[in-house]
Amino acid sequence: MRLLPWIAVRVAMLAVSLTVLSVLVFWATEVLPGDAVGAVSGPEATDAERAAVRVSLGLDRPAPERFLKWAGAVLRGDLGTSMVSNRDVGEILTERAGASLAVVIPAAVLILLFAGGLGIWAGLRAGSRLDRWLTGSTLALVGTPDFLIATALLLVFTLWWPVLPAVAIVPLGQSLWQHPDLIALPALALALGGFGSTMRLLRASVTQTTSTPYAEFARLNGVRGARYVRTIVTNAAGPAVHAFTIMTAGLLGGGIVVETLFNVPGLGYELARAVATRDVPAVQGLSLTLGAATLLILLAGDLAVRLLNRGKEAS
Amino acid sequence: MATRSRRLGAGVAAALTVALVAGCGGGSEADSADNAGSGEKAAATGGTLRAAFAGGASETLNYLQGPTALDYVRAKLVHAPLCELDPQAEDGVSYRVLESIDVSDDLGEYTLKVRSGVKFSDGSDLTSKDVLYSLQAPTLLQGLPFTQLVSRGFDLKKASAPDASTVVLPTLAPIADGRDLICQSMLAIKDGTKEFTPETPSSGPFRITGFEAGRSTTLARSDSYYGQAPTLDAIELVSIADPTARVNALQQGQVDYISGIAPAQAQTLEGADGVSVTSSELPYASYLQFGMNPQTKPFDDERVREAFKLAVDRDRIVKNVYFGRAFVGNDVPGMGFPTYDTELEQRAHDPRKAQQLLAEAGAEGMEVELTAGPEMPGMLETATLIVEDLKAIGVKATLNELPAGQLFTDYPAYQKLPFKAGYNPPATFEPNYTPGTFPEVDALVATARSAPSKEDRLTASHEAQKLLWKEGSQIGAVFVPSISAAREGVSGVRELQFPDLAQATVSE
Repeated sequence: MRLLPWIAVRVAMLAVSLTVLSVLVFWATEVLPGDAVGAVSGPEATDAERAAVRVSLGLDRPAPERFLKWAGAVLRGDLGTSMVSNRDVGEILTERAGASLAVVIPAAVLILLFAGGLGIWAGLRAGSRLDRWLTGSTLALVGTPDFLIATALLLVFTLWWPVLPAVAIVPLGQSLWQHPDLIALPALALALGGFGSTMRLLRASVTQTTSTPYAEFARLNGVRGARYVRTIVTNAAGPAVHAFTIMTAGLLGGGIVVETLFNVPGLGYELARAVATRDVPAVQGLSLTLGAATLLILLAGDLAVRLLNRGKEAS
Repeated sequence: MATRSRRLGAGVAAALTVALVAGCGGGSEADSADNAGSGEKAAATGGTLRAAFAGGASETLNYLQGPTALDYVRAKLVHAPLCELDPQAEDGVSYRVLESIDVSDDLGEYTLKVRSGVKFSDGSDLTSKDVLYSLQAPTLLQGLPFTQLVSRGFDLKKASAPDASTVVLPTLAPIADGRDLICQSMLAIKDGTKEFTPETPSSGPFRITGFEAGRSTTLARSDSYYGQAPTLDAIELVSIADPTARVNALQQGQVDYISGIAPAQAQTLEGADGVSVTSSELPYASYLQFGMNPQTKPFDDERVREAFKLAVDRDRIVKNVYFGRAFVGNDVPGMGFPTYDTELEQRAHDPRKAQQLLAEAGAEGMEVELTAGPEMPGMLETATLIVEDLKAIGVKATLNELPAGQLFTDYPAYQKLPFKAGYNPPATFEPNYTPGTFPEVDALVATARSAPSKEDRLTASHEAQKLLWKEGSQIGAVFVPSISAAREGVSGVRELQFPDLAQATVSE
């Protein structure tokens, strides 16, 4: 029953972290040289035109005033409008989050399957040829930049064996979810780039657990097959679950290269663009969403580990 | 044991691959079947052109505020231009919604005649009121600076529409190049338009049938268009931010036409089957220049500026950076436009003379930092070569490489930099000249814009260009065209400052 208060405390901490994050991000965009006026005006504008753009964007007001105005609006559920396109930031956010999730969720499922399956397998057969091969190849994958993995996939699946589209072009009025063929390559690229570390952690942890007296006791007592695997995995999964959640959270905002190359611009890509054009409301909205999503995923991971441990205590 | 696990492992991997491919393959088959179906139907009636541009989430239907090239490409298909710059035409412009532009003898008043029979998509006639509003809209609706060009030369508050086919525009001061200002980017919109949605009445060859920012726009041929009806039934403008992704989409046949590709990619595509690469012709090339700040030492010395201009090997830039897809510049903007002075001697690459001039100015071994960023294709690469060229004449030159989007964000700081890269979109020299640095040139440009006789104006313009060539503070290294590529069977795209797809055709 201590679980509920624990969750409440974590959620409260999440709110505090986000508030601090919003101030930090605003301050950081303030400190960066230049503002949206330069990006909006273009190189040909006269000084008077620049000044007019500055006033129309409200950038002539002092920074604290602008921040408080923005924060007040956010509390009322209004994330403001982009300084560059005048579009509603909430709208841009929904679009970009949709694209990100459409790729990251399948990628996370693939990672879970690959890393989980192969990690347990290799861990239970530590030192076998498969184990050594997996250890080597995952190390290579971890060390390969996303760009190379994505390019290799493009080469294989769109050039040599053209079965998948190279670029995600979603027909109007439809969502990316309706087109698994468009999701396949970017999700696979993210999964290949990300599964190595989780798999290696799980493998190490499983290997370690199999050599504990506890596991030996289970073996001596005739625990075999699926029951034995479950016993080992519930005890070994903790660190791997943590690694998995951290990595998934990272993919949400960090898959920029893959998003760019396959034309599924998500939250991370849009954030980079917003920073480049000093589009403060967009930067704020995007970074807060990414921050909240990351903290929630980590919370979910912690919760999963807690539940796993509880199961261990109970057995 | 080991063999068993290996075999099993391979089995699992194979099963996963099959499942994955089967799962996705189904979707892609259904998809391509759909495409083939619509393609066949389309071929019989005129077809659909799928064209990809950079675009992005910041796209908007409001062309006055659209920050991406795609916004203007789309707007020009939807809203008819008033007139367009046309170096071959008698007035330097060709007329579209307008029938003529006449200038009073004192160059203080312009009279615009509206073509009769032009209709909006809601069936209403386009009249002088709409044209007047189209000209005032950039100010009223806070358009981007590039749309404000007309208000720099004309007193729009005093402009009037005395009858249904006439607009009278008084100038702020006498100017002869008012047509250039009006025709550079103005499109005809309906009087009172405040919002731009797919339903907004429009006057162009196409109307919007669907739009999602950052994804795509679908356009269908408009039956109410006054001009030559397009052949195409429909156009789909797809937003693909990354140039490599655009090239991949073209090569795989996902789109028929792509715009804005890098010179190196053009080089690779050139050899590909079924793809043709096109770059725009002069004057539709951006002016890539490197500005030396004459307010800072030692650039206040004319000899140093000349030395820098002589040090740069322009042919090498055209060859190595642009693979031949660029035009050697001569330190003066506006190449290809009617008033550009073609008599000027082409600046030579003369490192020895450059060294000598530096020595005379006492600036041997000077230190300088060139600031540049990837703001247009080849800008950084050209900057790198210029730094090398400067090192070759003994200048301790370094490159300050900024990340994308950084160069112009702090404009006052940018202006103060001693040595920096910059570019100007294709435009005539006189109205786009920024006065303030060379009083003599300022006076000549003023004459070139306002002298009563055409000859006097041209003479003054050439004088100004000569002075800029000699003493100016810009290394106008190259003019860079925009490069596009299309699959076989696409034709009729006009490569202007932005591609014009209105008269394009596709065939199987």
